[in-house]
Order: sequence, then C-alpha cells, then structure tokens
Amino acid sequence: MIDPLLYFYLMLKASLFSTGGMGNLPAVRDDLVLRRGWASDEQIAASLSVGQITPGPNGLWVVSLGFLVDGLRGALVTTLAISLPPLLILLVERLFHRLGGDDHPAVRGFVRGLGLAGGGAFAVTLIRLLVGHGLDAASVFFTAASIALVLSRRVPPVAILLLAALAGALLLR
Amino acid sequence: MTPTPLRVLGTFLSVGAQSFGGGATTQFLLHDALVTRRGWITNDEFARAFALCRIAPGINLFALAVLLGRRMAGPAGAAGALVGLLLPSALITVGLTALYAQVQDFVLAKAILRGVVPATIGLGLVTAYQVTAPLLKQSRDEGRAPLWVGVGLVAAGATVVAAGSRLPIVFVLIGGGVIGALAGWLGRKQG
Repeated sequence: MIDPLLYFYLMLKASLFSTGGMGNLPAVRDDLVLRRGWASDEQIAASLSVGQITPGPNGLWVVSLGFLVDGLRGALVTTLAISLPPLLILLVERLFHRLGGDDHPAVRGFVRGLGLAGGGAFAVTLIRLLVGHGLDAASVFFTAASIALVLSRRVPPVAILLLAALAGALLLR
Repeated sequence: MTPTPLRVLGTFLSVGAQSFGGGATTQFLLHDALVTRRGWITNDEFARAFALCRIAPGINLFALAVLLGRRMAGPAGAAGALVGLLLPSALITVGLTALYAQVQDFVLAKAILRGVVPATIGLGLVTAYQVTAPLLKQSRDEGRAPLWVGVGLVAAGATVVAAGSRLPIVFVLIGGGVIGALAGWLGRKQG
C-alpha cells in the first residue's frame, strides 16, 4: 500500500539532495526498490527509457515511474515533488556569491566532491540496473553499441533509442 | 518585445512541448528562443546561469528556467518559466507511460525494451562520464594529491552502492562534498 505523502517526501528528498536529471536515481532505487519494494528494477529501467524519449529534461523519468508505481496520483505527487527543489537555485545563487563563488576553494571543493561521489554512485547504479534487467550477450552488445554511437557524436540520442527499439523488435523476439 | 510573465510562460510552454531528445535539446531550444530570437537574455547571462545550475538541487534545467524567468520578468516570470517547461512534458510523459503500461506484456513490447533498456543505460553511463570527467580533470590540474582525492571520491561513491550499503545515498553525496571542501581548503593553506 503506497502512502502518497511518504512517496512525495521520498521523491522530494531524492531530488533535493542530488543534481541533474538522473542524479536522484541511486536514492530513488534505494528507497523504492531496496527498502520498500514499491517499485521494481524493471519499472525503473522502463521509466528511464520513457524519460529519454519524451520531451523536456530526461529527469522527468521519475514522473513516468510515479505513474507506473501509483497511477495518476503517483505522477502528480512526483511532478509536485520535483518542481520544488529547483526553486532553491535562488538561494543557492545568493549563497554562492556571498561565499565568494568559484574563487573560494572550499566552496569549489564541496561542489566538486559532491559531483565526484555522485558520479561513482550513479555509474554503479546504472550497472546494477543492467544486471537486474538481464546481463547477457544481447544486453551487453546494446549497451556498448549505444555508448559507441553517442560518443561518435554522429547519431542523436533519440535516434539511438529508436534504432535500439527497432533492433530489439526485429532480433530479440 | 519585452518579456512579460505571460510571454515567458508562452515561450517556455513552446520549448517544453518540442524538446524531444532530453536535456541537450531543451537547452538548445531555450538558448535559441531566449538569446538568439528574442534577445531577452544575453549569451553571457545564459552561460553563467547554466554553470550555476549544475549545482542546483534537482533537475538543472528547471533551475535554469527559474533563474532566467526571474531575470526576465520577476517572480511571476520564474513561476511561468517553470510551469511552462514542466507541464507539457510531464503530461506527454504520463501519456506515453500509460501507453507503455497497456502494451508492456506484449511480446513485441518486451522485445523492444530488451533493446531500449540497455541502450538507455549506455546513454546514462556516457552521461555519468561526461559529468564526472571534467571534475577529475580539474582535480588533476591542481596536482597529484587532489587527483587521488578525486579518484577516491568516485570510488567511494561507487563502492557504497556496489556493496549494497544501508547508508542512504544522501550521506554519500554530502560526505563527498565535505571531503572535497576540506581538500580544497587544505590545498589553499599549503599553496
């Protein structure tokens, strides 16, 4: 039984203490999949994919997850939760400048440290999702192929996902 | 044409509905609409705002909308920009998810996902690299010790998740920030 208030709090917390569209992924998976069993790795993976395809920042993947987990209520609650933390940029801007901004080594160091630890956590979470989805020759190939294609800068991300969809439909049934 | 809250809302609604392909497209369309076509924001203002939004909580582009919206048309502009960017894309996201939920058990849908999910994870891994590598480079430019601290922080974040630790990720991130701040402060004392 999903408590919408708690769900709101969890989504707000995940967004508040992370940055970037997928920065909240480790916390969301931690809270929803590992601690409460409210969502599955498959749902997370699917909503990440939807987030990549639909317009706007891919951070909207949590709205997709909210719908999968708790229908329209989940989507609504999540949309509200993710719209609040960005408002804090106004405070961040003021604090940043008051502390000396980029010129202050400790401020610079804090931001960088957060990003580095978050980067490591993010990468491993993605790998765990892949393992949860199913680690086989096909999944490894598709992962590697999409990495190669995006690094080539010749194929836009949307096209990569469409290609993957087509390849999956034709080859993996 | 001066940016009024209503015009800001309209512009961001338009961008929000069109930007298929994730944050890069949204960013491009915002720059095109606000800087190039309407001249409501200078290129410099846009770049500085975007840089600051990298450390904004939550979705960076929403923070950018709030900052730019306020700059153009005050608090009402900030609200209009956020709502404009969020609403159409959230609605389309829900719609597409509902569609997926209807078809997810179909053999074809499962096959499609078997291709799309790993591809998405591949894109995510590249994103992880793109947001982390510049930070490591900054550390490397400061010296060997800062580089080791940087690598250590990446490894620490990775290890905590890999080990399936009960420690909430938030503490990992804040801990990383605190260690980074200490390292920065100590580095200045020595230098």
